[in-house]
Amino acid sequence: MPERWSDYLTIFMSALAVGYMFYEIDRRQRKLREIFDVLDAEDAAVTARLEDMVASGELQPYTGATLA
Amino acid sequence: MPRGSGSSRRPGAEARPRRGTARSPPTEAPAEQETVVLQEAVVTERSDRPGTPASAETEASPSTPRFRIYIVDTGWDSPGHKVLQENFGLIRELQREDPIYVLGREKSIEYLRHHEERIGHDPIIAVHDLAAMGDTGTTDFHGFRLRLGLLRTHQQALLALQNFARFLRMHRQSVDLEGEIRRGLRREGLAGAIEIILGHEAREIGG
Repeated sequence: MPERWSDYLTIFMSALAVGYMFYEIDRRQRKLREIFDVLDAEDAAVTARLEDMVASGELQPYTGATLA
Repeated sequence: MPRGSGSSRRPGAEARPRRGTARSPPTEAPAEQETVVLQEAVVTERSDRPGTPASAETEASPSTPRFRIYIVDTGWDSPGHKVLQENFGLIRELQREDPIYVLGREKSIEYLRHHEERIGHDPIIAVHDLAAMGDTGTTDFHGFRLRLGLLRTHQQALLALQNFARFLRMHRQSVDLEGEIRRGLRREGLAGAIEIILGHEAREIGG
């Protein structure tokens, strides 16, 4: 029986390790996407608004060397 | 499920040529990948792949604007704000082919009043890919953005801005911008997990 317990323990610990690895990958990808990500359909309205501001002349290319 | 995960990649997006400027100058594209914060997410494949369109009709001058860059910054006293202020001139010079639109404090506040979930994420640099927008408008991939306000230290913000600027320069003529970004994001998550498994110090991305 002790051998069996150790087998179960090994399997359990291995499953934990694999689960943690996937969790960590997912966590890091989420964190990174918070900071850096693509613009897609979810951002369409915001993008369209910004493009409209340019098209209407409300926004002009910034030519200054520093931000005010 | 965060958008942009591996399973959400749109069919055909990778193979679709964005514009006919696939042939980067040999000195511009990196021969090897680097691994620093955000860099894996925003770098890295040679864009001069075989099979990319190269007809004279579709080629654009390297000085033709590829991106429109928008900066939203309400002025929080944050490392991201300071880094952007300190280095804007350099970004301006590095990206002189692409117009930069700065919303200004009032417009930025107005913007965030309508997108309250993004308060505290600014400075936000949104880059609209004119090639992608010409293909599919805004219904599909059409650019990318960096939320500098989420970075907690000056060093993180500076490194992110540097990598972002490098990415913009290196991918001005990319035919598969979306694919490169998504591959990088996946690699970054995997690389971080491997570091932990190997017992290395975890990289700091946003703390």
